[in-house]
Amino acid sequence: MNSIPVLTVKDVAMLDGVLGDFLKKAEADLTVVIDRGGNVISRFGDSSVMDVTIFAALAAGSFAATCELARRIGEIEFNALYHQGNGSHMFMNSVDDDTIMITVFGADTNVGLVRYYSIAAAQSVAAILKSLRHAGHGFTFDASDISAAPIFADS
Amino acid sequence: MSIINYASREIQFKIVYYGPALCGKTTNLAYIHQRVNPQNRGDLVSLATAADRTLFFDFLPLNAVVIKGFVTKFQLYTVPGQVIYNATRQLVLRSCDGLVFVADSQWEKMEENVESFKNLVDNLARQNVAIDDVPCVLEYNKRDLPNIAPINYMEYVLNNRKKRLQSFEVMSSTGQNVFATLNAVSQILLHKFSKQSEVPQTTPAPVAIPVEPPTPTPERRSAPV
Repeated sequence: MNSIPVLTVKDVAMLDGVLGDFLKKAEADLTVVIDRGGNVISRFGDSSVMDVTIFAALAAGSFAATCELARRIGEIEFNALYHQGNGSHMFMNSVDDDTIMITVFGADTNVGLVRYYSIAAAQSVAAILKSLRHAGHGFTFDASDISAAPIFADS
Repeated sequence: MSIINYASREIQFKIVYYGPALCGKTTNLAYIHQRVNPQNRGDLVSLATAADRTLFFDFLPLNAVVIKGFVTKFQLYTVPGQVIYNATRQLVLRSCDGLVFVADSQWEKMEENVESFKNLVDNLARQNVAIDDVPCVLEYNKRDLPNIAPINYMEYVLNNRKKRLQSFEVMSSTGQNVFATLNAVSQILLHKFSKQSEVPQTTPAPVAIPVEPPTPTPERRSAPV
């Protein structure tokens, strides 16, 4: 039987604690933890201005593409990436082999500060996710819980 | 890999549309985007060249309530079909939960279909995943075109294996069976995680003998996968 990895309410609270502390110290607007396939694991901050799902998919793609660039110059990957805009900027850093952290920030802070605090935040997130993997929580459901009707309708 | 968040009561699944160049993967997503209730979908994001060829991937997020008490988020991706973009296909396949293999039904595309399916199997193997372990359906697209192979022949070429896949005749340009394909892979995917693990589908009978094409040329015939 297959099971889906679970983030319990307690796990989410722990991640929120780390990410909230990081945002406060770095004075950034939003941080999103995603897996390298583009799935959102956790988010904290103001995500009202964007679709975080799309943001995560594109960020995962961008990070993966630069891994190929890194290999061309003899690196395994670039541990961190910075995209500079006119008013909003983005910083991405590797958390572990499966996970990336993305931080969006504006004029209230600078990339050095975000980068500095992101290192400790990434280590804390990695430790939480590692403990989750060891705990091996998995979720399954009854077949009767799944709607028998077509999931998507052609309207 | 799917993940469930108990705090937000969300489950995420990633479904990838795979297939040779110009087989209609993006057309599938465009039709779904056009026809799904806007409240249940996000924007269709397409990273394409100026000539509308997929460069990186297309992405469409969909929401549904199919498991009691949880919002289920399906993330639909396409891969770039062109041969040179294999590194990109490997990236998009990462953490994939379900697959739709889109085959072009035209005779002249049969070799590309076979190559692309082999490429899919190889790319999954690089992630230590066997094709039989991933919920997957076959879509025989472009059934509205004149120069197409019969279904039995396509089944023989692409679906002649011990564990056969559910397959659909599709016209993605008009949308025929596009949703049937998506619903099928979604149901197989959901039942993979259910306690019974039984997929409610009718397994098609094996195709033992290939149907000969009406006017084949030897180079058009492709070896079975």
